[in-house]
Amino acid sequence: MIRLNRRHFLMGAAAGGVFALPPARRLAAQTETITVTSYGGVWEEAIRGIFVADFTARTGGKAEVQIGGPPQWMSQIEANLADPPIDVLVNTIDLALVAGRTGLVEKIDPSKLSNLADIPQRFVDVVEGWGVVFDYGSAGIAYHRERLRNPPTSIKGMVEGALRGDFVLSLPGISYAPTPQMLIWSFADALGGSVNNVDPAFEALKALQDKRAVIFYGGATEFLNHLEAGEAEIGIYWDGRTWAHYSTGAEWIGYINPDEGGVMNPVVVQKVVNSDDSAWEYINSMLAPAPQLAFAEKVQYGVTNTKVAYPDWLKDRITPWEATRWPPFEEIGAKIPAWVDRWNREIGA
Amino acid sequence: MAQMREDVRERWALAAFTIAFFVFLIAPILVVVAVSFTSVSYVSFPIQGFSLRWFWRIVEYRPFLDALGVTIQVAFLSTAVAVLIGVPAALGLVRSRGASAEVAMTFLLSPLSMPMIVLGLALLFYLSALGLGISLISLVIAHAVIGLPYVVRTVAGVYRGVSPDLEESATMLGANRWQVLRHVTLPQIRPGIFAGALFSILISVDNLPISFFFGSPSTNTLPVVMLSYLEHQFDPSIAALSTVQMVLALAGLLVIERFYGLRHLGAPT
Repeated sequence: MIRLNRRHFLMGAAAGGVFALPPARRLAAQTETITVTSYGGVWEEAIRGIFVADFTARTGGKAEVQIGGPPQWMSQIEANLADPPIDVLVNTIDLALVAGRTGLVEKIDPSKLSNLADIPQRFVDVVEGWGVVFDYGSAGIAYHRERLRNPPTSIKGMVEGALRGDFVLSLPGISYAPTPQMLIWSFADALGGSVNNVDPAFEALKALQDKRAVIFYGGATEFLNHLEAGEAEIGIYWDGRTWAHYSTGAEWIGYINPDEGGVMNPVVVQKVVNSDDSAWEYINSMLAPAPQLAFAEKVQYGVTNTKVAYPDWLKDRITPWEATRWPPFEEIGAKIPAWVDRWNREIGA
Repeated sequence: MAQMREDVRERWALAAFTIAFFVFLIAPILVVVAVSFTSVSYVSFPIQGFSLRWFWRIVEYRPFLDALGVTIQVAFLSTAVAVLIGVPAALGLVRSRGASAEVAMTFLLSPLSMPMIVLGLALLFYLSALGLGISLISLVIAHAVIGLPYVVRTVAGVYRGVSPDLEESATMLGANRWQVLRHVTLPQIRPGIFAGALFSILISVDNLPISFFFGSPSTNTLPVVMLSYLEHQFDPSIAALSTVQMVLALAGLLVIERFYGLRHLGAPT
């Protein structure tokens, strides 16, 4: 047995220090490239393999991909506003509006984005010009096809079926960021309420809970676990995620765009203030029809360029944005604290 | 005779409870290991066929390996910083008297009682204001801050058990301060340093809330990449990665046992 002594310790520390030094090449590369953002997994592969590749091919510029999420990126930008570590921000709609109003991002400049002409104006207006929507998901009804042969086709029917005891629902809980739009507002809207009257949503959730007809998920993958494990048969989920899961071989899962319409969930791209001007060219790649089509084929979510023509296999899976319901994002943003408080008091899960 | 039967029953009940308890603790880990060998592209249990494809995915998906490298670098470097600061601090504070020593010790241990997410946000703004920005140095400093209390706590605990007489005797026999530290004090507190460093490494490797704020294309750690991956892709590669992490941890413990001996991690007797 070897006893640890001072020499061993110093040798280990020295080896660790040498190992820990960042390669000079990496430091040098950081000064020549822009930094763009992406979620992890298939998203990162699509961003890197499609948008970054297109940007590099067109301009010769380089882009590094930062994996993570909008709250992380926005904190980092805010802490380093004069010299931001990020050039292009991918964001959720609610945080995109916050980023615009707090001065983290620039207004979209149409003169620098030639592909913006092919993006419907609504995808710029929804974020008040603080960016542009390049991709979107729709929250509809996902279900286990083998355990539920005749699924309801509307949100109202789904709630009524669960209350009858026909099946158990898996719904997003309050810790899941999109819940205010994809569940609370959506249920209120489908059950006769509105953004100013979400009583129908909370009453339905309370009734479902009393009947033990609902379980809640805190993360998107948890929903798939609920269906896979038999804890629930049906619920509210994203179209793209459902089809992506189906494509991996889980052919037991199905998706329905509800009669009321799925809930629109736009993904926004924004140029960070004080970032490199080549960020505009990268955003232009994100709005171009060919890269957008390749992105849609990879992640199975809808894209916003009107020139994109989906292949047949994908066309049936993408919910047209015209067939979705657009929540009043602005108004919902102001009501979220009250809704969270009410959820904690009345639902608690 | 009745008493003996009663004792045997109690022993069996205790053994059964212990086994059940361990099964309860270990079963989820075994499920994760099993799922990492599945042949299908989604998580399901029991598995529907044997395959090593998800281990290959770890190699194929570049951010996993890059992040693993960063995680190991940060763990060792931040631990070195924590040891370099924590050991002298613990030695000084244990032998000090008065309120200021207690205040200083409480201050050094305070990261333990702060929510990590708050600490991460505060460090992000503080280190950015100092001009360090989102960098490997910032990440190492941030991890050293959370590793420091473990080093201070364990070294202080061990050093309190070391009699001051030994150091005083060495001094009286002519040793200078450096010789006392090198030949008397450090050998006595070595288990504390080792245990504290081990804790610091483990805390660093496992940390998400701090690393989350300092992630960049070159400084993302494995927990940050795993979380982001898991949020947007539901395949068994995360299970395979978890299995690899467990194997590495076990291998580390075996190496320590082989070359150092786990029993030396305790206080000297």
